This record gives sequence, C-alpha cells and structure tokens, in this order.
Amino acid sequence: MIDVRRQFALLLVLFLPAVAAAQEKPEELRWGTDPTGGAPYIFQKDGSPEYVGFEVEIAEYLAAKIGRQPVMVSGDWSNNPQQLEKSRDVEKGMDIILNGYELRKDMCEKYAVTRPYYIYRLALLARKDNQDLLGWTDLLPREGRKKKTVCVLGASVAEQYIKNTFPQGVDLSSNADVANVLKLVNDRRLDATVQDNPAATYFTEEYPDLQIAGELVNPGYYVIYYRKGDAALGKALDDAIASGVRDGTFERILRKYGLWNGDQERLHYWLEKAWPPFDVEAEKDKNAERINPWPRMMRELLRAALVTIKLSFASFPLAMLLGLLVALVRVYGPWWLAFPAGLYVEVIRGTPLLLQLFMVFYLLPTVVPGLGEVLTPFVAGVVGLAINYSAYEAENYRAGLQAIPRGQMEAALALGMTPSTAIRRVIVPQAVRIVIPPVTNDFIALFKDTSACSVILVTELTRKYNELFNFNRDYIVELAFITAGLYLLMSYPLALVARSLERRMGAGKGGHR
Amino acid sequence: MIRVTDLMKSHDKFPILNGVSLTVKRGEFAAIIGPSGGGKSTLLRCINGLEPFQGGAIAVGDDLNLQGGTLPSKETLLHLRRRVGFVFQQFNLFPHMTALQNVMSGPVYSLGLAKAGAEAKAKALLDRVGLSARMHARPAELSGGQQQRVAIARALAVNPSAILFDEPTSALDPQMAAEVLAVIRDLARDGDRTTIVVTHDMDFAAKAQTLFVMEAGRVLWSGPPGERGNGETP
Repeated sequence: MIDVRRQFALLLVLFLPAVAAAQEKPEELRWGTDPTGGAPYIFQKDGSPEYVGFEVEIAEYLAAKIGRQPVMVSGDWSNNPQQLEKSRDVEKGMDIILNGYELRKDMCEKYAVTRPYYIYRLALLARKDNQDLLGWTDLLPREGRKKKTVCVLGASVAEQYIKNTFPQGVDLSSNADVANVLKLVNDRRLDATVQDNPAATYFTEEYPDLQIAGELVNPGYYVIYYRKGDAALGKALDDAIASGVRDGTFERILRKYGLWNGDQERLHYWLEKAWPPFDVEAEKDKNAERINPWPRMMRELLRAALVTIKLSFASFPLAMLLGLLVALVRVYGPWWLAFPAGLYVEVIRGTPLLLQLFMVFYLLPTVVPGLGEVLTPFVAGVVGLAINYSAYEAENYRAGLQAIPRGQMEAALALGMTPSTAIRRVIVPQAVRIVIPPVTNDFIALFKDTSACSVILVTELTRKYNELFNFNRDYIVELAFITAGLYLLMSYPLALVARSLERRMGAGKGGHR
Repeated sequence: MIRVTDLMKSHDKFPILNGVSLTVKRGEFAAIIGPSGGGKSTLLRCINGLEPFQGGAIAVGDDLNLQGGTLPSKETLLHLRRRVGFVFQQFNLFPHMTALQNVMSGPVYSLGLAKAGAEAKAKALLDRVGLSARMHARPAELSGGQQQRVAIARALAVNPSAILFDEPTSALDPQMAAEVLAVIRDLARDGDRTTIVVTHDMDFAAKAQTLFVMEAGRVLWSGPPGERGNGETP
C-alpha cells in the first residue's frame, strides 16, 4: 500500500510541471485601439516597431493586474465600437476598446463602461501667428469674415462640441488621422483643430509654430468600453483601475508622458462615487422623448449628397477632356509624346485612387509651394478624381478612335482637310458616339468613388453617414440603407440619361460597310 | 493636266507600280481598266497623295509636283487634294452628318467658306446628282447608289479641277451602278474638269475619251477606246 501511495506521489510530482505549463499561458486581453491616433496615446518611437504610449502602459498594467495577456488589436477608431457587437473570437475580435474613448451617454446605452483612467479637456490648436484665432470666441460667426476651417477627429466629442457650440461660424470637417490634420494647420491650410489636451500638448512640442489658443474646455473622461455581458471582466478592470489610481501607478505613467495635471486628482473622487455619473436607463427614456432626429439627419445627408453631386459633375467632364487629349496623343501623336502618354495611363491605372487623392491633397502642396491655397479639400478631390478617371477615359477613347475605319480619315484628307481638322470634325465626333456606353459606366463608377474624398476632409455622403451613425448608433441600419438609397437615387437617373443618349446618338451610327 | 512619269512603288519589296507613265489632258475623260491587282487603285491614290511612292514623278497642273522617294510638304498635299477630288469604292461618307452636311464639309472645313454660301452650293450639287429630296438623310438611311452620289457631290463641292473615281460602282448592284455611272458621264461633259475613272465596266470605259489598260504595274495600252481590238481584252 505504501508503495502504491509513493508511486502516486511520484506521478504527481512528475506531472505537476506539465499541468502548470498548460496554465502558464494566461487568457488574452484583446484591447481595441487605433494607432493612427498617434502620440502620446499609442505610437512608435524612433522607427522602432514596438508601440509605446500612455495607453499602451495602462493596458499592460490592467492586463497584468487581472492576470491576462495584453494583445493589441488595431482598427479604425470610430468603427472599433462595432467590434464589441461581434464575438471576441472573430478576426480582429476585441474584449475591450481603450483609446481615448470618451464617456458618452449614447455609448453607455450600448456598451458597459469602466471608471475613468484619464480626465481630458478640449484644446483649440492654431498657429501662433494667426491673429484671427486666439481663442474659442473667434469661432463665432462675424459679419464679413470667412468661416474658420476646423478639422477634428471624426466621431469624437470634439466634433460634437464644435457642431453644437459653433454651428454657424465654423466650416467643420473630420478626419481619422490626427497627425495629418496637425500638419495642415501648421501649413496654414486649416485654421484650427480641436483635440483632447494629451494630443494638443504633444503636438505643440512637435510643431513649435502651433499653440493652444484660449483655455482648455469641456472636461470629460477617458473610459474603457466592454460588452454588457462581460460583467466579471468589467468588475476586474474597475478594481485594477482603482488600484492603479490609488497606488500611484497611473500618476507615474501619466507624468512620464507629461500628462499629469490637477484634473487627475478627480480620478480618486470618482472611485468613491456612483459610475457612470448618470442613470443610463433614465437617459434612454429621456432619449425616446427627445425630438425626432430624422429631419435633422435627413437634412444633413441631403446636404452631403449635394457635395457628392458637385464632386462628380465637376470632375468627370475634366476626366473626359483629359482622357480624350491623352488618347489623341497616343493614337495620332509622335512617339515622343505617345510614349509618356501611355506611361501616364499605366501609372494612373495601376495606383489606387485613395493614394492619388493623398498625393494631390497632402504631398503636392509641400512640393509646389503656394499650391496649398488653391488645393482646398474640394478642389483636391476634383483634381484627384479627374486624374484617376482620365486614365480610364483615355483607354475608352483610344478604343473608340481605333474603331473608326481608315477610309474616314482618307475621305477627310481627300477633301483637303488638314489632319487636325479631320480628327476634330470627322474622327472624334464618331469616336465619342461609340464610347458613350463605357464612358457612362465610368461616370456612375466615379459617382460612387467620390466617397474616397472623405479621406481628404471632404464631407460627402459617405463621410456624413459615418459621422451620423457614430452619434446615433441606434439608427445605424436605417442610416446605412438611406445612404445606399441616396446613392442609388442619384446614379440610376444617370443610367437612364445615358441610355437615351445612346439611342439618340445611335441614329448617327452605321453607314460604314 | 495630270502627268505621271515612270512611277515606281513597291510594298515590302513586292512591286505594285513598275514604271507607270501616262498623261491626261485638262478637261479630258479617261478610264483605266485592267485585272485586279494591276495597280490601278494604287495609281489613283498616289496621284491624290494618299500613298507615298519610291520613284518617278507626278505633276498636277503646272505648279504641283510630287517626287518619288521624298515626302511632299503639308502645303503641297493640301493644295493637291483641294485641286484633285477623290471618290472611293466604299463611299466613305461621314456617318454622323446628313447628306447635306457631308457635301458642305469640304467647303466649310477645308476651304473655310461661310456656312450659308456653302449650303446653297451644296444643295445645288445634291440636286445635280438627283438627291435634293434626301439632303437631310444620314448615310445609313440611304441606299448604296444614293450614298455614292452624295460622295460625288461632296468631292465636287471643293471645286476640284480634276476628279478621280476609284472603282465607284464595284460595291453596287447593276441598277444602282447604272445611276451612278450616268451621273459620272454627265459630269465628265463639264467643260474643263479632268476625270479619271478606274472601272471594271467595259461598256462604261468605252465611252471615255482615252483608255488606259494596266496590268502588273504597267500601262500596257493607251489610246481612244475605239482603236482597241477586241482580242486584246486583258
């Protein structure tokens, strides 16, 4: 018997390390974030692939505290909350979102929320030499003065704040990439941006010509959102936050990034109080009583749809003209012109529209000084779309030109026309008729591609949809269908016009044998 | 006057014209016949500057000369084509224009005449080829014979001193061919316009003042049609 027990004990000793090893790998804490938000939240320092930042350190601290392995999951800032609606096991699945997400009533209705880990305020950033923008009151409308151009992070409290506080005096746009926006303010292409104080503090060091104009306003809380079903996780996180605040770890992390200030003392205060500081259920009821948001949302969507229409109708004629010129040069020009024209088509066709828009809006003005004045977001959008589609139109026209029988040119020359007159009066009018169907097709495609302009601060339909659903997450499905419906409503008549045009022009076809 | 001297043209070393010489006097009505591939059409196209040639010379009038092996200047080509009209086997009307616009296209776009004047003249020409009733029709709405008559009116509209017909009835059925040939014969009676017709129609060629027989890139026989014996038909 003793032998048996000894053997059992031996077995136990042998197996224990294996059991322990299996337990050694703790569960993951998948935290959703958007690294494009940049310093000091989360960024790469001096070209190192490692991410650093105060939120990285807080995430690592919290994960360690609750015995989990932190795994950073990057996504688009304004879309990350959507990931909490899916299972954590999907690709890019998240347990929590932690990236300067502000405490918002509408968010609390959908997601569970932790206590705050930072208290921020909004800062107005402008150039030091901008005498017209020294504080918030300069954003108020004033007779005979142009609206201030202000860009903010899309779906942020800053966006909401500007919209509600300065509905008249500000030409507001939004963008996901804070670093780009700051550069535009620095280059005088935007008047100002509104950022949370951590970003503002960091960027005034990065750009010495920028300053925080006026005081910091509208304090708010950075919190972590998680699924409403994950109560145990939430409790563990709240406990971890409490110990981080109490044992001075948060203060140490925040001081390291120059973010500690008097406001942060309030973190202690909120550990003792009910959280969140409002009744989510009561707010929900209040919401239901609130005025119907649809008239306002429809107005905003329609206004954005108008921008989409303007973009399309301004850029496509340019694309057609440019495309025709390129095609003429390729078909009839001397080789030293035809060759670069062919290269142009291949390069433009072979690179993404999004990249071209970036180049036109962000890079071109740095290469050609003075261009920044002209290249407003709208103009840059028109130019980028026109260039992109000119390559496709050039190929359409080239096919059209080559489809004209040789006898047409000979007949025109035999009448004594110069080659250029023959091209203008005889060849091109016929080629244009031939290519109506593919060209119309491209126009409809361009119509939808205008949505890419949202990356260069143009508030067109897709951008507006994004903006609206971020603050009205209850209507996310309705808004998506309405936006899609608006696109269809605009592009379908185009298809009809094209078809009738084709029929009418078709009368001139034929006659070739 | 059109004078062709020792014209040489080859394509990829394959000779097409092998020393063609002929002279058509001002106001003369000449026909060129011969088997297919004998170089008849190529000769006409060379006279109008639509094809380059390697050797010999072409003179149109006293002042316009094309030399083999050299590219004529743009001005020479423009003057040449305004002086020498061309009617194609396949008509080559501009399909996006009406019959009237087709006839006006030369005067307006080549000679730079005002539209009003060009239109009056174009209507007269369409009347002459028997198509004033169809002047607003597009080519696709016209029969082959009608299209070719519009093409003839179009060539005449720039007032050429010579007009070249390249197998003008080959693409037409006999009924339509007869209409077109009647128009050409009628026009050939006009005072001092030189007319050269390449044709396969022997009866028609017999009505020309001068007949040229071409074969294998050479002129085999030339003279008044009546002087040619029946046995010599190529």
